[in-house]
Amino acid sequence: MTRKREKIVIALPKGRILKEVMPVVRRAGIEPEPAFDDEGARQLRFSTNHPGIDIIRVRSFDAATFVAFGAAHIGVVGADVLMEFDYPEIYAPLDLKIGYCRMAVAEPEEMVGNDDPERWSHVRVATKYPNITQRHFARRGVQAECIKLSGAMELAPNLGLCRRIVDLVSSGKTLRANGLVEIEQIAEITSRLAVNRAAWKTRPDEIGELIQNFRDAMLSKQAGPPAREPVS
Amino acid sequence: MSEYSDKALLPAGMCDVLPPDAEIEAKATESLVEAFSRHGYERVKPPLIEFEESLLAGSSSAMAEHTFRLMDPISQRMMGVRPDMTLQVARIATTRLKNEPRPLRLCYGGQILRVRGTQLRPERQFGQVGAELIGSAEPAADAEVVRLAVESMQFLGIDNISVDLALPTLVPAITQAHGVADEVSALLREALNRKDAAAVEALSGKLGKDLANMFTTLLAAAGPAEATLGILEKLDLPEAAAAERAQLVSVVEIIRRGAPSLTLTIDPVESRGFEYHTGVTFSFFAEGVRGELGSGGRYLAGANNGEKEEPATGMTLFMDTVLRAIPASVPAKRLFLPFGTAIEKGRSLRDQGWITVEGLDSGEDAGEGARHLGCSHLLTNGEIREI
Repeated sequence: MTRKREKIVIALPKGRILKEVMPVVRRAGIEPEPAFDDEGARQLRFSTNHPGIDIIRVRSFDAATFVAFGAAHIGVVGADVLMEFDYPEIYAPLDLKIGYCRMAVAEPEEMVGNDDPERWSHVRVATKYPNITQRHFARRGVQAECIKLSGAMELAPNLGLCRRIVDLVSSGKTLRANGLVEIEQIAEITSRLAVNRAAWKTRPDEIGELIQNFRDAMLSKQAGPPAREPVS
Repeated sequence: MSEYSDKALLPAGMCDVLPPDAEIEAKATESLVEAFSRHGYERVKPPLIEFEESLLAGSSSAMAEHTFRLMDPISQRMMGVRPDMTLQVARIATTRLKNEPRPLRLCYGGQILRVRGTQLRPERQFGQVGAELIGSAEPAADAEVVRLAVESMQFLGIDNISVDLALPTLVPAITQAHGVADEVSALLREALNRKDAAAVEALSGKLGKDLANMFTTLLAAAGPAEATLGILEKLDLPEAAAAERAQLVSVVEIIRRGAPSLTLTIDPVESRGFEYHTGVTFSFFAEGVRGELGSGGRYLAGANNGEKEEPATGMTLFMDTVLRAIPASVPAKRLFLPFGTAIEKGRSLRDQGWITVEGLDSGEDAGEGARHLGCSHLLTNGEIREI
């Protein structure tokens, strides 16, 4: 086909995960333009060493949204976000095995011990993940009233907003510093390579090759750069 | 809120389709139905509303949550507004048209209504145009339906179509042969539908290593048809699953014979949206267009009304998405006829293919009137002049 094809857009999450993702992206043979590593740059879309591939840098929840609507073709999305929204248009064919953490229920230290979960019929929980939280508690017959927060969940129990929180826990330091204890694990979380369904179906060769490059990059974690030719 | 905005606001997922889109949609619908009828598919028109118990019986119960319901004041029975037309057409084929010779080819076009829009399709009302081929289990029937969909969409000027074939019966055939517990199968289905390789791996404890490996291979096999078939053919499948695979191979072969350069992919593990299907299914995409243009596949007609079940296959195109894929058309030329132009003159210009707009006011300047009404041409002194 002679028609000019759209560039492939890869959505990467800002922040903590980005540092872990970039080595994988580079091993997959994709090198963003220098402005990408410039913290002060206002640019949001970056070209790469491949003329047909661009990278965008967005918030981690938004990476999933961009991929779900096909605005980005591929993205790196935490399993937490995929679980929360369960987008039917996203495929997650590859576990990148980075950004390890767990989603857990936590409560104030002094509550542990005299709290019997068997007796709950209703809990109030502060969380960034109302869907996951509701599903988790509903499975054991408990109705969860969720208070949606965007961050600093750990403050909520101390200030009397609610008694429990559901959040991502990696080292557990933040919980401890706020007098909270992890009482239950909901899921283990890693980052996934997310692919838009229609993009995969309509450009199977290019997308398939990119996924394979990422897969090889995972396998060659300690080894040098992969030998694959760039996607044209 | 002003009175205007009060009146203009529509319920979520509903919209007024304005010029020129309403005309484009109507023409596209008619072109598709015409393309189907050229292949011998005859049009049927089921009603908007049916009794709930026949609309949602048997295999169509998957659509229950999408259905608007209302009470029939006459019969005092519950009715449902159709959320999909395929099963209505299958009902017609297996009841009123059950004595027609088989295979029976039917087509349809109409509006459907759903309780909730989806993320990609917030519309609650949209048009469906489709064709059903009832009474043949041959792979040639599946291939005919795929070719029909592709050719009719190409007829509309959509040139970058790709077809994804799936086999929603393959995974259940494997899990049943290996005696996998129902709740594990359900988790597996969910993981495979999301193409979540990590979640499939996490099930290896319950599935056994060999079986988990097989599903991981199947998941990774999704891609260009020939490559996927190469992988599928090497797998050691239980008998029922091998039969499904053989059917898929023949369908691909026949499609390829007619369309060697079509973008054809296979997804051996997809089952979302194919709740009542029993064999090879298809989804149609166009590059750069969000969502599916249509979908379809093999099913059993009559399974929902107690009649004899018949093998059937068919497809439905979703007009909201199809319209997004149609290349923008050139706005039609409109010719302004100043007040007093002879009626015969206008008639003969329309016969030549012009769209004419007549001036109604004797006092107005013809050029002004033409511009005011967005006409591209003007008739002055019997001559057609471009504006």
